[in-house]
Amino acid sequence: MELQDRLEELESSGIGVAAISYDSQEVLAAFAERRGITFPLLSDDGSSVITEFGILNTVAMEGLGPNQDDPDVVADIHKYVAASVFDSQQLRRTIVGTPYPGTFMLDANARVTSRFFEEFYRERNTTSNVMLKLGIGLTPIAAVRGTTAQLKFTAYPSNSTVTAGTRFSLAVEVEPNPDMHVYAPGAETMGYRVIGLNMAPSEHVRFEPVSFPESEIYHFKPLDEYVPVYQKSFTLLQEAVVDASPEAEAALAELDALTLSGSLDYQACDDAICYPPASVPLSFTLDLERLDYQRAIPR
Amino acid sequence: MSRKPMVIVMATLIIGLTWMVYAPTSPPTRTKIDVSLLGPQVGERVPDFSLPDQNGQLHNLNSIMGPNGALLLFHRSASW
Repeated sequence: MELQDRLEELESSGIGVAAISYDSQEVLAAFAERRGITFPLLSDDGSSVITEFGILNTVAMEGLGPNQDDPDVVADIHKYVAASVFDSQQLRRTIVGTPYPGTFMLDANARVTSRFFEEFYRERNTTSNVMLKLGIGLTPIAAVRGTTAQLKFTAYPSNSTVTAGTRFSLAVEVEPNPDMHVYAPGAETMGYRVIGLNMAPSEHVRFEPVSFPESEIYHFKPLDEYVPVYQKSFTLLQEAVVDASPEAEAALAELDALTLSGSLDYQACDDAICYPPASVPLSFTLDLERLDYQRAIPR
Repeated sequence: MSRKPMVIVMATLIIGLTWMVYAPTSPPTRTKIDVSLLGPQVGERVPDFSLPDQNGQLHNLNSIMGPNGALLLFHRSASW
């Protein structure tokens, strides 16, 4: 379980960790043993806590009930329960009582500070991606470092291994040289080139819009312009999802790794000089893992 | 003062009730599921619980909480 790999970083950030499922204590004990899991795997046998939280997967029950042929029910089943699961009578029964999978981040008073739930059954956020988005200290893995005349950058993926349905991020930390700035969103209206992480389309990966951190306003006195820029170290996040369709899963099974290519494009200026727009090629190679269908004790 | 309005109201009620009783059992209108609206939202406190872990030790919100909060993951199952 990926969460175990990130446990130390979460704990050193002062964040407690627990996972809840409807499994019996025996199933969880076997799973913890097999995967070396040390944080609490809580057994909500009977799904009462899952129900109280309001995240019980009710589609599964509807699909076994009198409205199972209702087109709306069928559509939701395809969205929230994999069709392959629903084709099997045995799996249909096992999915009843499960939650819509997701993560709550809580403050010390148990209030939700953010939540990550997937819209589609097959897609799931990685813990590292959640941490990266929340700015929780994450040690860059498989990082590529580079230096240009105007800045330094470190590019790394949230996860070095992905599988069909993985929601992950590509991060690029950029540190402009002293007195240098690069342009933030909004500066394009004044004719500047906004920094961008531009990934080439991939057959198996869907890219979300790049997320930019908050910028600062730079007063360019000669033109009396107020321009949104980055002058200090900042991180661009490119969230992405590996295609989870059965066709994609079959195609990915033939591959050992995915290479995603793109470029970091920017224009940098200091008080006196604006340098020509630059483009630095970047590529990320992610190992591919087959979906884990390993079973513990049959329920 | 006319009693007509009251009669109309009563008639409407009776027709309505009769329809409710005898209407064919059509499936109730169903709200499409939107997971983003389910469960505690940002700013809300989550319900407390008391559940055993893999070693039989009981946990609640307090016991899983770190000094800066907690990550609470709900997953489908460890067995499939």
